Amino acid sequence: MKNILLFICGFSLMMISCKKSFLEVPIQGQGTPSTDPQVALNDVTGAYNALITPDPTQSEFGQYDIHGIYFITVTNIMSDDADKGSYPGDQPLAGDIDNFIETSDNTYVAGLWRGYYAGISRTNIAISGLAQALLPASQITRLTAEMRFLRGYFYFNMVRMFGGVPLVLTVPSGPQSQDSSFYIRASVSDVYNKGIIPDLQFAVSNLPLKSATDVGRATKGAAETLLAKVDMYLKNWQQADSLTTDVINSGQYHLMPDYSILWRQAGDNCAESVFEVETGIYGNADYGIPGYVEFQGPRQDNGMGTPSPPWNNPGFNQPSGDDGYGFDAPSASLMAAYEPGDLRKAATIISLPASSAPDTLFDGFVVPAMVGVSANYNYKAYHSQILPGGSIPQVEAFDGNRSLCQKNLHILRYAEVLLIKAEAANELGNSGTAIGYLNMVRARAGLPPTNAVSQSDVRTAIWKERRVELAMEHDRFWDLVRQGRAAQVMIADGKTNFVAGKSELLPIPSSEIAISGGRLTQNPGY
Amino acid sequence: MNTQITHSKKRFFYFICLFALFFPLQLFAQSKIISGTVTGTDGLPISGVSVQVKGGSAGTATDSSGNFSLNVSNPNATLVISSLGYISQNIGLAGRSNISIELKGAEAKELNQVVVVGYGTQRKIDVTGAISHVDGNQLAKQPVLTLTQALQGKVAGVQITSSGQPGSSPQVVIRGAGSILGGANPLYIVDGIWTDDITNINTSDILSVDVLKDASACSIYGVRGANGVILITTKQGSGKMKVNYTANIGIQQAAYVVPMANAAQYLQYETAALGPQLFPTKYSTNWFNQVLRNAFYQNHNISVSGSGDKYKYALSAGYLTNQGIIIFNDYKRYTVRLNNEFSPTSFLKIGSTASFSNQASQNVPTGTITEDAYRAAPLVPAMLNGKFGNTSQYQNVGNPVLNAQNTNDLSHDDRLQGNVYLEINPLKTLSLRTTFNEEADFYDDRAYTYQHPNDTTFFNVNGGSQGATRSTLAISNSKYYRWVWSNTVNYNAQFGSSKITVLAGTEAQEYYQVGSSASRYSVPPITSEWYLQNGDANFQFNGSSVNKNTINSYFGRIFYSYKNRYEFTGNFRADGSSVFSAQNRWGYFPGLSAGWIISNEHFMQNQQIFQYLKLRGSWGELGNSNIPSDASVQTVLSNIPYFFNSGTSASGSTTGSIVPQIKDLNLKWEITKEADLGLEYSVLGGRLSGDIDVYDKRVTNALIYVQVPGTFGSQANPNSSITPGDVLTNAATIDNKGLEFSARWHDNINKNLSYFIGGNVSFNRNRVVSLNGGLPYFDGNINGYFTTETKAGYPIGAFFMRQVTGVFQNSAQIQNYKDKNGNILQPAAQPGDLIYKYNSNGQLDTSYVGSYQPKAYIGISGGINYKTFDFSIDLYSNIGNQVYNGKQQARVVATDNIEKSIATSYWTQQNKSNTQPAANSGNQPASSYYIASGTFVRINNITIGYTFPQRILKRQKVFSDCRIFLNAQNPVTFKKYDGFSSELPGSSSTNAGIELGTYPTVRTFALGVNLSL
Repeated sequence: MKNILLFICGFSLMMISCKKSFLEVPIQGQGTPSTDPQVALNDVTGAYNALITPDPTQSEFGQYDIHGIYFITVTNIMSDDADKGSYPGDQPLAGDIDNFIETSDNTYVAGLWRGYYAGISRTNIAISGLAQALLPASQITRLTAEMRFLRGYFYFNMVRMFGGVPLVLTVPSGPQSQDSSFYIRASVSDVYNKGIIPDLQFAVSNLPLKSATDVGRATKGAAETLLAKVDMYLKNWQQADSLTTDVINSGQYHLMPDYSILWRQAGDNCAESVFEVETGIYGNADYGIPGYVEFQGPRQDNGMGTPSPPWNNPGFNQPSGDDGYGFDAPSASLMAAYEPGDLRKAATIISLPASSAPDTLFDGFVVPAMVGVSANYNYKAYHSQILPGGSIPQVEAFDGNRSLCQKNLHILRYAEVLLIKAEAANELGNSGTAIGYLNMVRARAGLPPTNAVSQSDVRTAIWKERRVELAMEHDRFWDLVRQGRAAQVMIADGKTNFVAGKSELLPIPSSEIAISGGRLTQNPGY
Repeated sequence: MNTQITHSKKRFFYFICLFALFFPLQLFAQSKIISGTVTGTDGLPISGVSVQVKGGSAGTATDSSGNFSLNVSNPNATLVISSLGYISQNIGLAGRSNISIELKGAEAKELNQVVVVGYGTQRKIDVTGAISHVDGNQLAKQPVLTLTQALQGKVAGVQITSSGQPGSSPQVVIRGAGSILGGANPLYIVDGIWTDDITNINTSDILSVDVLKDASACSIYGVRGANGVILITTKQGSGKMKVNYTANIGIQQAAYVVPMANAAQYLQYETAALGPQLFPTKYSTNWFNQVLRNAFYQNHNISVSGSGDKYKYALSAGYLTNQGIIIFNDYKRYTVRLNNEFSPTSFLKIGSTASFSNQASQNVPTGTITEDAYRAAPLVPAMLNGKFGNTSQYQNVGNPVLNAQNTNDLSHDDRLQGNVYLEINPLKTLSLRTTFNEEADFYDDRAYTYQHPNDTTFFNVNGGSQGATRSTLAISNSKYYRWVWSNTVNYNAQFGSSKITVLAGTEAQEYYQVGSSASRYSVPPITSEWYLQNGDANFQFNGSSVNKNTINSYFGRIFYSYKNRYEFTGNFRADGSSVFSAQNRWGYFPGLSAGWIISNEHFMQNQQIFQYLKLRGSWGELGNSNIPSDASVQTVLSNIPYFFNSGTSASGSTTGSIVPQIKDLNLKWEITKEADLGLEYSVLGGRLSGDIDVYDKRVTNALIYVQVPGTFGSQANPNSSITPGDVLTNAATIDNKGLEFSARWHDNINKNLSYFIGGNVSFNRNRVVSLNGGLPYFDGNINGYFTTETKAGYPIGAFFMRQVTGVFQNSAQIQNYKDKNGNILQPAAQPGDLIYKYNSNGQLDTSYVGSYQPKAYIGISGGINYKTFDFSIDLYSNIGNQVYNGKQQARVVATDNIEKSIATSYWTQQNKSNTQPAANSGNQPASSYYIASGTFVRINNITIGYTFPQRILKRQKVFSDCRIFLNAQNPVTFKKYDGFSSELPGSSSTNAGIELGTYPTVRTFALGVNLSL
């Protein structure tokens, strides 16, 4: 009897079956789209964040880059404005790009491809989220326009780097999606006419003026400027002319009197700023474009064990060491491009000729003569690294993390609006109008009015002015390609590996071609 | 009174049965009944021993009390007494009708050995699946931290790859890599507790280890059985109280260090590569000598165990210290175990197993130290007048000696593991058991990084990047709980010649892990102040991690045996796991196996070749749910900031979120189907025995990471373990076919001398059958070059890279190396550069150059006992695979140091070579130049022991047993590869075999003692 009782007790233990909810374990510690009521607004902010980095791990030499080290390499270093810098053996992949011998397995190129599509995907997710969001219609339209501005910008850089690329405007249905838009390259014309231009036109129509929105958000002026720039690339001079006229007449922008502050923190979001990447402090730490400042900062050691004179900058982050890695060194060609008396030269280049005394920078940092491997550094990328609470007062915000310095990247500014206006006017036969805008830019640089008169001379003068005004601002190489003289200028600069018809574009990453199963095609010559 | 009646009834019943059995024989044969008892040398009866009349057909087997009776026609016949694991004896009856026989055998009761099969035990002879049993004593003698290291080479079909780094768990692959996932490790079950890590288990507490290898055996653990199951049983007390003390004390050192160039060789090489850019200093530092040392190792264990009428007890305590071969490294472990069982009545058992371990580690960044030691220029002194040599003068590399001491990193891990169980036997044939298992782990870490400027107050030369402008204190805490509640019913009965066992059970388990971490800058450099509140509150950082999952299961097993000849086992398990979405949650895993003990057949009774022969076959299905909890859920990454309306960039941020990764929301179970055919044999009077197994294991719907195109927009996700750009999906079919052969020979030459030699060979062929039309999975990225591809028709993680055909000897050769259109293939090459193979289209030929999956692996062990001396040796070997010298290719900076073998053999105009290229500045593409043979043979362990004879011990009254021994663990390795180690598990099977780390393997020489009271 007792045994039977025990048997029943035991068996009833067995029968205890778990409730169905036992296996319903919500994912811990991470949100899901369905648990986030503000998902659409958050996705918009997340898409802007891609301008700083598409890589949340903030890796400098990672798989994702939009405005970081790889971007610097394929814009400035690749052009005649800058050399690779650092010492010869450092970052040979950047050297390959500098010398136009990069192959399709160059990880810098792959990082840009993945980075830009990560950014594009963030805008696509935000746009699809906004379409279903429970927000006022006007807010949905404005935020959608902001996202389409960013997407247009990303595709504009992509088409300039790679030519025709897959035009992805939707969110993939799942990991096995075979939708050809993810695999097949659209033509250059389709990227412009089905992607960039409709996006920017939508942005122009639906974005508020700069004074009517938060600082840092995309504006009507930014969309008009970017669309004008696109039109300049496509030689749609009439549209470029009318868009820039609209920006000029909006009354939202003017040139700052002092060129040298434009790339310092003092110049962030100033009256000349049309669109820039905003940085700041997040989580008690610097939050900026990974490596942007560090990659280009003055460097003491040359990697070869050569003794260097000691640095002595008490109160600075690296009182006696490298401020950075010394990449993206302004070239001799750029040095020579400035006219005598051009105020922009000293604001752009930290120059250390052999005989000179140490160069004291705006914040008091002393770069001794003949240190490092390059005589020149990019002053526009310099960020003051005075430690907080230290012996000398801070000039720019800095929390001690030199790889994530709070350095705003200035993507579009009013001086370029004037130069686009000048170029469009000149191409439309109004050289007189063009000279007027050109001289506005020259005057601020402390230079006399141009003496160019003929349409052809004015064109040359505008191109030259673009080079020095926008020097080290990631524009030069694409400008040369647009002007149809990349091969001529590059070869004249000694970059003899440049092959016309090939080197204007980067190779499509071989890893992406492999993953696409060969559906993605390679650029000619690679 | 009642009981007595029952007993006498039973006896009467047995008598009738026996009578009925013998009655016919009595009737028809005029012969004599011989009865007898067979015992072992320990006096305990042995069942199932074959008793045969030599030259005749009569025969029987002993019962569970070791008794037999047999009818013989000739009273002077000779009986052949044989049993697996014992030395056969021929006994002349010489008219006797009652004999007692003592069987000898070094191997003892192998087939009566109890094997743990999951939720129960079986006699080895009854096991129909592929299960290997290893005795704990074989493992405990080795001076190693964890069981898995000791297990290497002991079991056929089990491949154990140890990276040698302290604290790292070796990788265990059973019957070939089935899942491409990182989670290819087997499931460990310690006394019923499911766990992934067994560093808390003291090896001397282990009674036995059972490895479930085939799908039929593993299917009782359905959900997690796909990679095999390792069952660990800890010791219980039995008999009179035993007190045992063992100790092992020794030193450890690097087994092999790759010789690096000295200053002169380095300068010569660098000058050849870069021109005269570097200049001699007064120094020539061997960095590995600076950071490696002979380390002290000790391990002490004491145990008390025994049993009484109503209780069993086993108490043990262990203390182990292991300094580590890198300076400043240290490790200590205390373990305590208490296993109890009480039987208050005949039908009730209550018991518990409980273990506590405390591990304390003084951590050093071993990976960074050895990598920097490999790279740092020998021109820099390690220390000079109390200041550190500044290695960053030459490249961005830290001083390894400073790496070892600039952070004081102390971690503790406290783990409680145990269970309580209640077993009720309402009927003799029925038992009900409920077990509640719990594991709780508490981990904390405190790392203090000293402030150290990069100027001449600290370094011999100022500058560089190895400075810390502020001190940092980082602390982290993490804990996890896992409970498993199992309830089983076991029915065990015998009907005539049929024996039947039925098991049914339910199980529920939950795992919950939560951790937090925090850090602050500028904490004073005083140990007693290393708490967060002493840091700068303006620079505080924190974060947390969490994971939770549950599994609910129902399972059952039926075992049926007929006449001790035909055996059948059926297993079934249904599992529901929370890591899969509701529609894919439940998986059903059957397993079937059958055995035929041929040697028990009548027609085998007259042969003398096989003492034991059994054929078994099995088939089963298994699942794999070992995936990250977030693998099939679309997650968002929140707190992604941007800086709107900030005016100046130093002010506030707005936070948003992103969807960083694409997930397969339809993720399913991975299904492994495996068929196995096995033969167990014992021949030559039981002196030679072993197993042969063939198997075919196929994984369909295999979980594999597929790379999605960049256009899908996948991004890095710091909250997830999934690599950016990868999506986990069911896309692959993987096949492992193999053959396992094990044999063991033992013999007693005479009373004083016996020996044994045993070994196992496992052949495995691993192939990816298909990727469902998917693309190859690329892995092993070094300098932007993928070194492996996992694709149809090749082993997992096959090496694919450009092939080197030689070295350019002169410019003419470069100019003449053209494609079919006359284009020069390597126009940028210089004499001394590697020649790459191109296909007919002028494209680089990136092709298959081998795989890390070995063709075979072998374990051999042998031993000799002479009087009271014993000697044993274990070897392990891996044959027919390739390894990749990734660390040579990874040389991205021209001024990194170079291996001595290269620095003394590189191509020059004067000293041309067709295999070694000229000096170069690093950053070379992946190529077959870096491929080497992975074949090696290693002596795992050599032990020489001496047991004090009883006649000596009897002179004192304290110790009943005393043995001293000398031990060498991993003393010698014969390998073709000239890197640190040929054992390179990698982080997953798709990138195994690549040497990137530079941690030398460790060898240990130890002296031990074993004392019993």
